[in-house]
Amino acid sequence: MDTTFRPHRNGAALIAAAAIMVGSVLAGCSRDTPPPGEFRGTPLERPLAKVDFALEDTDGRRFQFARGTRGMLTFLFFGYTNCPDVCPVHMSALGEVIDRLPFEARNRIAVVFVSTDPDRDSATRIREWLDSFGPSFIGLRGDIAEVNRIQEAYGLAPAGKGIDDGRGGYVVGHAAQILAFTPDGMARFAYPFGTRRDDWLHDIPKLLNP
Amino acid sequence: MIQWWCSAAGTPWTWAWRPYPGVWIFVAALAVAWVIAVRRAAGGSARDSGKPAWYFAGVALLWFALDWPLGALAGYLASAHMAQFLLIAFTAPPLMIIGLPRLDATTQPSRFERVATHPLITLVAFNVAVIATHLPVVTDTLMPTQTGSLLINLLWLGAGLLFWWPVLMPHAHHWFSPPVRMAYLFANMVFMTAPGAMITFSDLPIYATYELAPPIPGFSPIDDQRFAGLNMRVGTAVVSWLAISVMFLRWNRDEVRLMEEEAGAARHSPPDVRSAADGSRER
Repeated sequence: MDTTFRPHRNGAALIAAAAIMVGSVLAGCSRDTPPPGEFRGTPLERPLAKVDFALEDTDGRRFQFARGTRGMLTFLFFGYTNCPDVCPVHMSALGEVIDRLPFEARNRIAVVFVSTDPDRDSATRIREWLDSFGPSFIGLRGDIAEVNRIQEAYGLAPAGKGIDDGRGGYVVGHAAQILAFTPDGMARFAYPFGTRRDDWLHDIPKLLNP
Repeated sequence: MIQWWCSAAGTPWTWAWRPYPGVWIFVAALAVAWVIAVRRAAGGSARDSGKPAWYFAGVALLWFALDWPLGALAGYLASAHMAQFLLIAFTAPPLMIIGLPRLDATTQPSRFERVATHPLITLVAFNVAVIATHLPVVTDTLMPTQTGSLLINLLWLGAGLLFWWPVLMPHAHHWFSPPVRMAYLFANMVFMTAPGAMITFSDLPIYATYELAPPIPGFSPIDDQRFAGLNMRVGTAVVSWLAISVMFLRWNRDEVRLMEEEAGAARHSPPDVRSAADGSRER
């Protein structure tokens, strides 16, 4: 017969405490999901029309934003390719979700990425970076003062450079939300950092056909 | 601010080493616990002083699972989080239990020990803990904080020790024979298929923590999650089948030895006793 050393006898109390903690978490926490039919993006205070700016795309051509995206569901995001968190998370989510949509829907969507770090983001660098998320994504770059004027026109905070990233580089402060322009050219929702693939899959069909 | 325990901190990942003093204290406490257990056993009715190599192999696995880099990566990748689970809940506990000193055969288990280590209770408790700690709402609530992450790790370790206890220390339940113990491990594999399949076959990332974590190049959230689910299913199957195999071989060896002893006893006994022994075997 096998016998053993017996542990402390307060194990029951520990098990009970753990059970209570897990129970409390299960009972008290649930994700705030809006009712079906509603958008999961953050409504803007007032709808925004597309600002007709023009910047250089990754082929070196001038890209007229309003004209180049007319009639399309357009996602506009200001970020930079060395961004360690918000930008790649947003772009990869959008890329994966758009890939899942039917061909007709994919053809009616434009994702426009504007660099807030033109010093490091060359056209080639932006193209390579965007290709890892979606080859159809449009990358734009221009003078930072011009980029900031565009951001201000949309009520976004201008990009701020200079914080040391501890790895010999720097991080760029920038707006973390994606503006969504419906095919009528108006933005009514912004999608902040924290928007998940499930949220995009829920909202994109509604944004395509508002 | 220094982090004392690994959690999903949300800061960009780097391969630069980081200290986690809470993990070191925890590991040191487990080492001290073993010394105390051995001393107590020596002062009581211990049959031996344990197998330190086994116990400390388990503690070393725990340390590997909790400290940098695996512990830190568990805040970024679901697959690292799952590897942590397999080590903490399923691999380290049996090694630690094997290493504990054993008491004399005449020592009676307490009522609490009999109830808490009843195989039905431990099987249910373990699977409830596994399912609860892998629910997205629990993971996403607890993993971003150090205290929450510590709680998950402690739950895993506690549930793992409880699960393996009756398998390796079955003295409180005499009916829990080797074949039933093998069935227990097999049943657990079947139960763990559900959370493993949920994670593997989910169409979208189920954990916000890992979907929104600063990315590590080469890992997309959905691939990472599928790998995590596979980790869970394959890892538990490998450990379980290994344990079942060892148990089967030992059981078979013991049965053969018993039969040989019975046969030897029958050969050396007087004819009337021998025929009675043969008769009993036939029955």
